[in-house]
Amino acid sequence: MITAIKDGLRAGLITAIIFTFLILIGFTSVAANIIGDILGNPQVLNNETRLPVGNLLIFIALVGLFTGLVTLKKGSNPPWTDVLFRGLTGGILAGLIVGTVIYIVGSFHMEGVDFRAYLPNLGASQLGYLLFYSTPIAASKTYLLYFTVFSLVGALARKTLTMLTGLRNKLKSIKSQIIDWSDKKNFHSLVGNQLFQAGLIILVGIGLYFLPLVWGSYWNYIMGTVAIYILLGLGLNIIVGFSGQLVLGYVAFFATGAYTFALLTAPEPHAVGLNLWVAVGLSTLVSILTGLLLGLPILRLRGDYLAIVTLGFGEIVRILIRSDLLTPLTNGPKGVTNVGQPIWRGHVFSDVNYMHLLMLLVLAGLFIAKRLKDSRTGRAWIAIREDQTVAQATGVDTYKYKILALLLGAAFAGLSGALFASRNQFTGPEDFALMVSVNVLCIVIIGGMGSLPGIILGAFVLKGLPELLRELADYRLLAFGALLVVMMIVRPEGLWPGQNSKKGKMATFSNSLGEDNLEEKV
Amino acid sequence: MLKVKNLKVFYGAINALKDISFNLDEGEIVALIGANGAGKSTTLNTISGIIHPVSGEINYKDQDLTKISAPQIVQMGIVQVPEGRKIFTRMTVYENLEMGAYTIHDKIRVKNNIDKVFSIFPRLEERQRQMGGTLSGGEQQMLAIGRALMADPLLLLMDEPSMGLAPLLVEQIFEVIQNINQQGVSILLVEQNANMALSIADRAYVLETGKVTLSGDAEELMKNPIVKESYLGG
Repeated sequence: MITAIKDGLRAGLITAIIFTFLILIGFTSVAANIIGDILGNPQVLNNETRLPVGNLLIFIALVGLFTGLVTLKKGSNPPWTDVLFRGLTGGILAGLIVGTVIYIVGSFHMEGVDFRAYLPNLGASQLGYLLFYSTPIAASKTYLLYFTVFSLVGALARKTLTMLTGLRNKLKSIKSQIIDWSDKKNFHSLVGNQLFQAGLIILVGIGLYFLPLVWGSYWNYIMGTVAIYILLGLGLNIIVGFSGQLVLGYVAFFATGAYTFALLTAPEPHAVGLNLWVAVGLSTLVSILTGLLLGLPILRLRGDYLAIVTLGFGEIVRILIRSDLLTPLTNGPKGVTNVGQPIWRGHVFSDVNYMHLLMLLVLAGLFIAKRLKDSRTGRAWIAIREDQTVAQATGVDTYKYKILALLLGAAFAGLSGALFASRNQFTGPEDFALMVSVNVLCIVIIGGMGSLPGIILGAFVLKGLPELLRELADYRLLAFGALLVVMMIVRPEGLWPGQNSKKGKMATFSNSLGEDNLEEKV
Repeated sequence: MLKVKNLKVFYGAINALKDISFNLDEGEIVALIGANGAGKSTTLNTISGIIHPVSGEINYKDQDLTKISAPQIVQMGIVQVPEGRKIFTRMTVYENLEMGAYTIHDKIRVKNNIDKVFSIFPRLEERQRQMGGTLSGGEQQMLAIGRALMADPLLLLMDEPSMGLAPLLVEQIFEVIQNINQQGVSILLVEQNANMALSIADRAYVLETGKVTLSGDAEELMKNPIVKESYLGG
């Protein structure tokens, strides 16, 4: 009972802090607007100064649900009364804290204090909305009520879910026992999985085909960016996630791919006018060669040294592109415009076509990465990541496999670079700043090192979310940063960790990058 | 079987091995004993091809190992059990063993070898689905030895198998080493625990700051007053 109340209070405190923070940066109304957009509720009611209170209430309810969900710990399955207590204590505490904050801020607001001097997002209209256009005391009561009720609902829902998964696992174990007994375990589960996977793939495929047609060009643009970053993430994941080599200048391969494609297809400055599909192939090839150029000399380095050298390489490529020296070749800081766009059935590629192409490539990339991971090569990479010296001692040619990882990663980047340039019809040196490398690395790490679903999720969180948070304007990156910090505390192993990092000893980040190998024994 | 002649190794400016010569005949257990920094592990890593010597020869079955890469050396039957129980902590016990047979492409042979390892270390069979990092120290050492056996070694290079283990476990591990040797695997054993090492070795070499200072039959060395004083605790 005491642990139940403790857990509940902890969850309540966490949500209250997060929610207060969201109020202070003005995110609550943004979220309410987004909910309104999704549900199709008009943002402005007949009276123009008032925003629809319902959307805000839905958002509060969602936060309340979240409170309830986190009052139960992962893997635990407490009795129902216990769950009741958890949900109630969490909700009441969160409601009390948020209600008090609202009451205090609301009272000052009523007395005519202007908060905008300290918190630019807490203007009169915002505060009115947060108070549901009523009195502070009534508003804080509503907050308390909503948090309590929905936290309770959340806790109960989580309990129900745990019970359902428990049932499923029980069924599974019964099933596997039967199969174990008939000693055909691998065969059965393989066929079952494949059938299931095939069905799922077809369903997802149909969904993916229609989505770009439906959701319009703005979403196609955002999702296209996400897809390009998924491809980049898949590539870098081979290098960092699988083989454990911390390469920070990944953007260099992206840039070479984009520029090769642009220069071969744009009318200026060279007017080569190469066939686009050949150009895509060549871009990939040039990126691979760049990888070879970088990899042969430097992959004998380990850990920190490798990171620094590759970091420098990424910047060198960008600076070379915009340098006076190479301006005749690359058009310098001006960049290359009118990059070639493919023709499909008589018309130039539309945003929908690009989206479809990108989706296909992402699927192909996922397939390749998955096969690689499960192969002998993948096993060798993971051994290198875990311990380079031991991998060598068991007969893995570490140098060869590290180069191979780099080349494959570079190929992914080259391909995405070509698509990036073609889709934007432009490419300039500033597209390839250090931040691109950092972002892609974040995708790999946040998603969960070496995990493929993690990369997709990571790309959505890192490239999709900031776009969706655009309404937060100046606070966008602040909110985003806070989210990253919270995430690294709550889930240090990544959003969707790979199998090898889920169980067993949780290795630290540096350790998994093989830095423990740095000290050689004398 | 193995002849090391005038081996010289540098780490940057540090001369780790000054002049190491020794030999090992087929079926023998040869121990290299010495204090920290004497160059024992370096010698093993050089034989494995992980470190490259400045000069000297490592002759194994009439081939010079200094010119051969680490993976090929494993294929020739020389396998190292690294110091400090270096196993792959985030792979399962089974996967660790599979990794040991990386140079073997024949799946049936791999399976047979796994069974063989499980018969030597029944504990590993019990824990085969567990992550390597969750094993106890003794089990990790068993796994490291098992993993080395997976490659069908002719010569096993063992780096401090007793390091950080309880006395009882050390005895068990050394018993296993003797058993492996009786099945025809030659063993080059590097140890700080000179007492244990000399008790199972046929011959031994004493290393001091990169040089061989003493050598002879293990039994004789045990009686040698210098060895007694410096390595066997008086």
